Amino acid sequence: MIINSIKLSGMLPRVFSSESIPDSDVWKRELTFRRGEYYLVEAASGGGKSSMCSYIFGARTDYEGTLRFNDTDTATLVISQWQELRRRNLAYLPQELSLFPELTALQNIELKNSLTGWKTREEIELWLEELGIDSRRDYPVGKMSIGQQQRVGIIRALCQPFDFILLDEPVSHLDAENNRKAARMIIGEASRQEAGIIATSVGNPLIIEESVRLKL
Amino acid sequence: MKLINRLLRKNTSPARIAGFVISNFIGLAIIVGGVQFYQDARSLWADDDSFIKSDYLVVNKKVTAANTWKDADSGFSEAEIADLKAQPWVRGVGEFMATDYKVWASVSAGGRGMSTMLFFESLPDEYVDAKGADWTFKPGDDVVPIIISKDYLALYNFGFAGSAGLPQMSESIMAGIPLRLVLTSDDGLRQKTLNARVTGFSNRLNTILVPRSFMEWSNAELGRGGAAAKPSRLVVDVSSPGDVAIKDYLSDHGLEVAGDKSGSSASFLLKLVVGIVLAVGIVITLLSLFILLLSISLLMEKNREKLHALLMLGCPLTEVSAPYERIIIFATFAAYLLAAACGIALRTSYISQLEALGLNASEWWIGLATGLSVALLVMVVNVLAVKNKVLDSWR
Repeated sequence: MIINSIKLSGMLPRVFSSESIPDSDVWKRELTFRRGEYYLVEAASGGGKSSMCSYIFGARTDYEGTLRFNDTDTATLVISQWQELRRRNLAYLPQELSLFPELTALQNIELKNSLTGWKTREEIELWLEELGIDSRRDYPVGKMSIGQQQRVGIIRALCQPFDFILLDEPVSHLDAENNRKAARMIIGEASRQEAGIIATSVGNPLIIEESVRLKL
Repeated sequence: MKLINRLLRKNTSPARIAGFVISNFIGLAIIVGGVQFYQDARSLWADDDSFIKSDYLVVNKKVTAANTWKDADSGFSEAEIADLKAQPWVRGVGEFMATDYKVWASVSAGGRGMSTMLFFESLPDEYVDAKGADWTFKPGDDVVPIIISKDYLALYNFGFAGSAGLPQMSESIMAGIPLRLVLTSDDGLRQKTLNARVTGFSNRLNTILVPRSFMEWSNAELGRGGAAAKPSRLVVDVSSPGDVAIKDYLSDHGLEVAGDKSGSSASFLLKLVVGIVLAVGIVITLLSLFILLLSISLLMEKNREKLHALLMLGCPLTEVSAPYERIIIFATFAAYLLAAACGIALRTSYISQLEALGLNASEWWIGLATGLSVALLVMVVNVLAVKNKVLDSWR
């Protein structure tokens, strides 16, 4: 299966249902993310970016409205299907990164790659070098700075085939130079697979030139 | 997948796992030992018998002073048999057939010869549950198979052998001794010599049993040729042996059931003691099950975030639960193997004493198999709990 579109119909986090929501491009709208296109979702903190990513990734279901992959209501998917989607169709970098602090940078990445068998060891090493963390390769991730951890997380997220990649504030702790490098890497992978990118930010967006900008 | 293992095994407490292994081992060992001992010792009291089904009752008339003094025999007349057959709880009636000639049996054991007068009886073949080719006789065969009452062996071993300075004999030794039979007709004119071999011992058949084919042949050869004598004992196939109606009928007609030992207090006591022991074993096993359940749950609770993170990476559920399942399977098997070794050692220590009592030890694996099924049950419950917990940490 290939996810060509992600459709949000009248979606709203339940916590917002009793509040009056300010004007939003996402909540309570008909919104379709298309494969091959890049989206930047900007919001103030507390706007529900992470919630949106979690909903699309199947990690949370506390929303109103419906979410469809192509024409399939995601409420009908079972756990094994979600696990398959997470290995084959949806890549995700959560805001909290969810790296394993006791494993090294390389181990964290290889753990993911062993599930998908997507990248070779050489490709991974090259990426580490590109993002300037090759010297931290064998360091426990728990001892790295947030910025370094973010770069490990980005590489890990790319170690799989995907139709869409969800990036929740991927570069919030990176300088402009590293932001550019990361963006180039992500766009490179996405375009190779004709995949879509959905990246969120609260002010330091991933640097993608041609993107649809949405306000939460 | 070594990384996943390493991540998820973190916080494993060897002490708790050891606690489980030890308690589960104790529980399983009691179950294995108890069940096996019960099986082995049961035949001391049991009234079930491999040669005759438990719903067959061997019935005879009570012998009273009148029987002895009057010339009246204690045989069943045709009318009496017909009346018995007409009872609703009777499925069939088989008649014992007795020899119509004299039997001398001699045996040479321990360097000494012995001979004694003997009698035979036979039952219709469908009432004798002796399996295999052992229980057949064709005219011209040289060896007659016989089944004797276990009581005779006990009488010999514990009553006679000691006082006569003869060696005690186990069932297998007894079965290996060839008997020499001399059959003589009543008038002393015809004689036949044959060999015999004890092929089995019965708890409930209080007789010396030969195949019906041998009985018919030998009676035709050596008997007086008159009408067959009335059978003095019957085997009755009843629909439910515990039925009160049977008891009433038998006592009304002055009949008694042979070899009925089911109500004996020794059997009851054995059941009670084994029941208590098994209950203790089951309780300990249950407790050990909960120890493992709790320690695995605690471990998974501690690693819950990692579990969730792995599932977020798309890790299949089976791979996430595998490390915990391996702990469970390994620990339970370790406990079971220890328990099995203990059970085997226990059995080795008592089996020779039981066999000296002339006991048919039961199959050696019954206790082990019971323990294994309990261990598997413990395993399955825990594995299901792990799967549940993994599902729990999915969202």
